[in-house]
Amino acid sequence: MTDPGRPISDDDLHGYVDGFLDADRRVIVEHYLANHSEAAARVAAWHAVGGALRDAAAWEAREPVPGSLNIARFAEKRGTGRWTPARIAAGIIVALAIGAGSGWVARGPGIPTGIDAVALEAAMAHRVFASDPMHPVEFGADQRAQLVNWATQRLGRPVTPPDLSKAGYRLVGGRLIATAEGPAFMFLYDDVQGGRVSLFIRPMQKRDMNAAMRPVRAPGAAGFAWAKDGLGVSLVASDPTATLHALANDVRGEV
Amino acid sequence: MSVLAGLEENIPSLRRYAWTLLRNSSDADDLVQDCLVRALDRIDTSHAKGDLRPWLFTIMHNLFVSRWRGGKVRAAMTADDAEADLAVSPAQPASVEMRDVLRGLDTLPRDHRQVILLVAVEGFQYDEVADMLGIPIGTVMSRLSRARDRLRDFVEGRERPLLRRVK
Repeated sequence: MTDPGRPISDDDLHGYVDGFLDADRRVIVEHYLANHSEAAARVAAWHAVGGALRDAAAWEAREPVPGSLNIARFAEKRGTGRWTPARIAAGIIVALAIGAGSGWVARGPGIPTGIDAVALEAAMAHRVFASDPMHPVEFGADQRAQLVNWATQRLGRPVTPPDLSKAGYRLVGGRLIATAEGPAFMFLYDDVQGGRVSLFIRPMQKRDMNAAMRPVRAPGAAGFAWAKDGLGVSLVASDPTATLHALANDVRGEV
Repeated sequence: MSVLAGLEENIPSLRRYAWTLLRNSSDADDLVQDCLVRALDRIDTSHAKGDLRPWLFTIMHNLFVSRWRGGKVRAAMTADDAEADLAVSPAQPASVEMRDVLRGLDTLPRDHRQVILLVAVEGFQYDEVADMLGIPIGTVMSRLSRARDRLRDFVEGRERPLLRRVK
């Protein structure tokens, strides 16, 4: 299996597109693609197909979950006695959260995975640190070189905070964040009115190596999350703002 | 975590998959509902610890197969039906790529459609998909190749619109 000379198969190309190859094999496949334009065109098209499929699926998923899919109601109806009142109550609270259209981030005690986990982590980090009057960041923007160096080292890939000055935001600094899926980095920005947005970044683990942009909505944090080339990114502000979506689109092109 | 909350958390992705598989919202929500009812029947505390998602998708796949055999689900929609459906929707998919890829999806055999959706949209690993569908991993890979190449023709415009006019 480890024979580096083994020929490139369709399986390799799929693994490349889906982000399942190990680093060594990925380099070999990339080299192969650089020299085989037909395979490279095929892989590029597969990427485009995946993106279009995910966008189309997300477009449908924006419709709120109908009341007919209320899990607490099923559990009650079945009345098997296996459901304690507390469990049913938890289900009802969760169902209400969904019914109110509050998005899948603020959905109670579940453990999200993939890009949903990134969205939740970003929302939590923003809530805790963006409003901290004393130490919102560990390195300030005046120590930008150390900040970039540290982020790159901990995330294992080159990371630089994008310039958001066109949108009126100036870099405050950054800090390391601990998540269940390893280290993450949060860059904090503010505007002249003191409004703050945070940019949360961490490598994805297996799931959602690429994920279409989706809204993040949680109490005290609203924004967008997506994943591109194995990097999960979320841009979050304290309140939903009209300009955040456009800013997130700009950032996606840059990060 | 409460098992109910665990189920609830998976509803959006089950719905997304059912919708892209069936291409009909009411059939899709029926399928998700049946899946949740069956899951509630079978779930026990051992499920509270692990990842519910592959298990739920397996249940939904089995229901899908048995329904399809029983003829409960409408025959696969033609591309024209799909367009008619989209026309009455409150919002059309924003991009040409999305519309083209959905048209392509309609032309795929359902067992190919399942594989590409589970991999490309739901992000499952190839061996998870093989387990879910009860097929060898080699079959997963060959269906994935055919599905991706077929949808490529649609996204790159080679299947639009001439071939569809041939009736």
